[in-house]
This record gives sequence, structure tokens and C-alpha cells, in this order.
Amino acid sequence: MKHYHFDWSAVWSGQPLTWLLHGVGVTMLLTVLSCLLASLLAVILLALRFVPWRPAGWLAAGWIQLFRNTPLTVQMLFWYFGALPLLPEGLRNALANGPILLGLPLPSSEMLTAIWSLGLFSAAFLAEDLRAGVRAVPFGQWETVRSQGFSTWPALRHVILPQALAHAWPPMVNQYLNVLKNSPLAMSIAVAELMYQTNQIESFNFHGIEAYASASVLYLLIGLALSQLLQRLGPAPLHDKGVPHGR
Amino acid sequence: MAVERFHFQVIIDNAHYLLVGNLAQGQIGGVLLTLLIALSSGLLALIIGFVLALLCRFFPRRLAPALGTLGELVRGIPLLLLIFWLYFLLPMLLGRGAPDTISVIAALALFNAFSVMLTILSGLAALPPGQNEAAMASGFTHWQRLRWVLLPQALSHILPSLVNLFVALIKDTSLAFVVSVPELTLVSSQINNREQIYPLEIFLTAGAIYFALCSSLTWAAHQLENRLARRQLSIV
Amino acid sequence: MIQFKKVSKQFGTVPVLQDIDLHIATGEVVVICGPSGSGKSTLIRSINRLEEIDAGEILVDGLSVHDPSRSLNALRREIGFLFQQFNLYPHLNVLDNITLAPRRLAGQSRAAAEARAVALLEQVGLSEKQAAFPANLSGGQQQRVAIARALALSPRILLFDEPTSALDPEMVGEVLTVIRQLAHQGITLVVVTHEMGFAREVADRIVFVDKGRILEQATPAAFFRQPSHPRARQFLQQLTSPLHLSEAST
Repeated sequence: MKHYHFDWSAVWSGQPLTWLLHGVGVTMLLTVLSCLLASLLAVILLALRFVPWRPAGWLAAGWIQLFRNTPLTVQMLFWYFGALPLLPEGLRNALANGPILLGLPLPSSEMLTAIWSLGLFSAAFLAEDLRAGVRAVPFGQWETVRSQGFSTWPALRHVILPQALAHAWPPMVNQYLNVLKNSPLAMSIAVAELMYQTNQIESFNFHGIEAYASASVLYLLIGLALSQLLQRLGPAPLHDKGVPHGR
Repeated sequence: MAVERFHFQVIIDNAHYLLVGNLAQGQIGGVLLTLLIALSSGLLALIIGFVLALLCRFFPRRLAPALGTLGELVRGIPLLLLIFWLYFLLPMLLGRGAPDTISVIAALALFNAFSVMLTILSGLAALPPGQNEAAMASGFTHWQRLRWVLLPQALSHILPSLVNLFVALIKDTSLAFVVSVPELTLVSSQINNREQIYPLEIFLTAGAIYFALCSSLTWAAHQLENRLARRQLSIV
Repeated sequence: MIQFKKVSKQFGTVPVLQDIDLHIATGEVVVICGPSGSGKSTLIRSINRLEEIDAGEILVDGLSVHDPSRSLNALRREIGFLFQQFNLYPHLNVLDNITLAPRRLAGQSRAAAEARAVALLEQVGLSEKQAAFPANLSGGQQQRVAIARALALSPRILLFDEPTSALDPEMVGEVLTVIRQLAHQGITLVVVTHEMGFAREVADRIVFVDKGRILEQATPAAFFRQPSHPRARQFLQQLTSPLHLSEAST
């Protein structure tokens, strides 16, 4: 192995540092907004399964299958090159020029597409985790809550869903972390997130090892922070003692 | 802007390139390359992961914690970053340039090896402890217990998980697109750059191919899981 | 021959075995009984080192169980162990459960191992169940297969850790009958059980354990007629008096 001279200032000072920090900011924004969108969509997909109309459940199931069995890369390229151009011209121009809404600058259309794509993709996985969480609630719970006279929505709200969420939370936290780990794909549609910036530094001063090592540490730290935050925000784990499950 | 009718012709014209890339010029690409990458990294991951799991079982105090931490690091960073790492390091380690495809295969194999290791270990941990005790009481050595009593039972839980890992692997091959390896996603993108006006047709087709591959494997995993569960309960 | 010399063990700060001195002669049938949590399971499990002791010595056939000249697996092959939960291998049928160890540990040929297995199945009364899987057998049948499995390596010692405690009452008899047939055939039997009827009929000696200590050892006749230790008296009273049964039966 060739003699390698480590130079951390090649990454952590001057222009490269600016790029790096910018990249961190973009990655965090991308991740958080995608997580929010994905959560919203996942709840809708779950709700579709409880609607009395059967085809709604099939729609949700089909949607989930579609988004889980195709790569995020292809999905992102599809939305950016295939779907975005289909939007009405006025809207596209407005997005491309980064309009101001409520006094806040909206992200670029590339960023919005990335959030949309990442959100839709992750929602499918979150929805499956939620569904597994619901199935993990012991059957006796449904029977008890019914025999007490609760109708469907209050039963779900007070008894079933809190338990379902407690079961589903650990795999869901894992999915949210996957959003972070999938965020670098946005660089393929020109979003200047952390991976993009790291490559930029590498091609700028060829200090690849320092650049990639720094990026690795940053991703791990962001991931750790995200996971800690989510564990605090989420429900505490349940202790159930081998009660028969399933629905 | 009106949505055109689906233009099949562009797919038919480019079908050969989509499926096998520049095979005529000796460069494998397209679906063929996707499958080759998935199969080779999958096989490597399986072998390495199995060995890692055995190391954790046989050296629970000395090696298991280190391997666990290493696994957290490798799987805690984005897979794309891992690809870039190996893309950068392999030529340095080998002393000469390595084809980009090899970096991708190495990264996918490394990442999934740890996933395989975790799958096998958790499959074994899920077995009732009485099984290990019964085998111990008969006087079987550690390896004999794993080989004849524990692994055969854990297999019914492990196999479906392994198939799911493979499905994820097929999807992850599309990351190679970012480092210009001509698998299906890059090939689709190239066709799109050339044709310019049929992005929907091209990316929907690429998506459909992946969907066909992944969903049929997922279905096969379900069938496998059901059959194994039935056999365990002997309701044949 | 099994010998305990001043054996002690703790789980953290809780003493589980305290200064155990016990001698079991070759071919003897010893029943170990006592209230739940008394350490009787730990006692029997330390003979084949499923539990490790903290102090003292355990000798099997004159050699310490920790003696390096005899490997742990070699020791375990001489000793058959029966679990409360049977622990048959669910992925193997009855015949394969019994022949696994003879074929893979003792190097016997499939034909020889299977011939012996068939004979053992006949001995425990399950000849027709060769091809069945454990999931298709009742608890009593599973435990009898487990006994055949333990006998397959021709052990000199058989240890039973509450063999009938997980069985429905109507199946207890069939298992105890099989164990009784093994008694006084030359194999040393050590049985942890609550089945006092069995103890009275089959045991050469009863060992009463409580809170990790051996409080009394006596012949069945002496033990059941007039136990000397007050705790032993209390224990027997709880077992025989219906209203106290919930405390004693664990």
C-alpha cells in the first residue's frame, strides 16, 4: 500500500468545510421532510385497510407492493424525468425558480422531487411495519374492547392503535434511519446533499480517505441523533407475556 | 401538455440494450449485468456471512462484540457511501485499477454479509433453549450441535429472511448507476438521454422489470415460508 | 457411582446449593424431592455440568467431572438426561431422534443404530411410532421417546429432571411405568420428582432437599412413615393434604 499522507484540514477547512456543512444541512432537511411525508402517507395507507370498502385495502396493498419491489433509484429518475415534465408549465416554472411561500424559500424542484420520491418509497415500508404492529396486538384485545361496547374508531384509538404503535415502533425507527441512508440517491438528480459534497471535495483535492471518513462519521452521528430522538418521541416498548396473537 | 399514448416502439428498439447492454462489444450490461452482480455478491455475502456467524458462536467473548460493532458501522452508513469507499480503496489495496463493477460487488457483498450474519444469529437465538441443552446433554460438540440440531431447525426461519435480503440486493444493484456501471438503471438512463422524449416509457419499463424480478422472488419466499412452517408442524 | 463433596453454588448472591454431601452407589435408584426453589434441579443438572458449581467436587465413577483427562462430551455420553420439557428434536422423526447420537457420536452404522432404536421403542411401548414426528405425539409419548433416545448410547447413569411435571395427569402413569422398568437393571437412576407413589414403590433412597441443603436421607419406608426433619414432615403434609396442594405442586 502506497504511503498515504493524512490531511484532515483538506476536508475541515476552507472551501471544503463550507461544502461539507452545506451538505449536512441539505441531508438533514431532506431526511426530515421525507420522514414527515412518509409518515403521513403510511397512516393514510393503514387507514385504507380499515375502511369498510374492501377495494380500498386492495389499493393500499397494491400500492405498497409496487413501491417496495422497485428500486428507489428508478423511482427517483421516473419522478424527475418522467413525471415532473408532465406538471402544468406554470407550476413547473414556479418550482424551478424557488418561489417564496409564506415568507420562506421553497426548496428547488430537484429537492422537492427527491423529498416526494423518498417519501413515497419509505411510506410503503412504514405502512407494512404499522400493519405488522396491528397484527401483533393480541386477539383478546379486540374481543375485550368489542364486548365492552366500543365501536371501531374509539376501539382503534384507545386500545388497539397505541399497542400496535408500540409493537411497530422499533422497525419503524429502523425505516426512518433507512430514509437517511437512502438520501444520497438524491445526488443522481442533482441535489447537493452530503454525499454529493463529499465527492466534490474528493475531486477537488483528491483527499478521498479523509473525505469519505468524515462523511461516514457524519452519517453515523446524524443517524445516532435521529435514532435517539425517535426513541424518545415514540411509545415505550410493551411487555406482553405470550398471549396468542394474530388477526 | 397532453399525455402521449404509451410508445412501445422505443422499448422494442432498445430491448436488446436494456437486456444485455453492449454485449456485442464484449461489455455486459442491462438486466444481465444486474443479475450477475446480484448473484455474485449474494453468493459471497452468504458464504462470508455464514463464516462470520460461526465465528460469533464459537468465540462469543472475543470476536462477537467486535464483529457486532463492525457490522453496525458497515450497515450504519449509506450503502452508496460504502460503494464509494471500496471504489476508492480497492485500487489502492490491489495496487492497480479495479473495474467499477468489482467495487460494487465487493460493497454489496460486505454489506449483506453482515446482514446474513445477523439473520443466522437471530434465527439461532429464537430456538427454544431446551434444544441446545438436550444436544449438550447427549454429549455433542458445539459444531455437532449446530450442524445436526440447531441449524436445521433455525433454517425454516432463516431461509425466508435470506430470500428477502436477496430481493433487497437486486434493488440495491441499481446504486451502481451512480458509479457508471452499466446495469439496468444506468442503461435505462442512457437510453433516456439518447431518446429524450420517452422518459415515462423507459423508466416504467425498467421499473416493471425490477418489479417482475422482486415480486416473484417475494412470492417465492412466502411459499417457502409456508411450506417450511407446515413441515415443522407436520401437517402434510 | 456419583459423589458430591461439599458442593456449593450461588446465583449472584442467592445460595442455590449449600455444602451438599451425597453418595449414590452404582445401580441405586435415588429420588430427590423438595419444595420448589429448593435447588433439586440445580443439583441434578450439575452432575452432567449443565450447571457449573462454585465450590466442592462432584465425582462420577471416581473421577471428578472437571477432570481434564475425561472430556465433557465423553462424560455426557455416559450419562442420559431427561428434561421436563422432553426437548425432542422437532425436525427429526422418532427414529432419527433416537439414532442421531449413536450415528454421529458413536459412529454406529445406520442399520445398527436403527435396529437398536427399534428395540428401545418396543421397550418403551412405542414400536408403531417410528416414522412419527414429535409434533404428532402426546406429551407422554414424547417423554417415552426421550427415554429411548437417552438409552440409545447405553449410559451407566440416567438423570430425570421432573420427567412428569409437564404431563397431563392421565399420561404420568405410562412414563413412570417405563422408568420403573429401568430400575434395578444396573443403571444408576437419579429422579427429581413430586410423584411420591413412584418414590415409595421404586426408590432405594429418598433425598429431601430444601433451600439448597440436604435435610434428610432415608429409605422410602422410613421417610413416608416418619420423617425426622420438621421441614420434611411439613412437605409431606402439603403433598397429601388437598387444601395445601397448590403450594406443593410446582
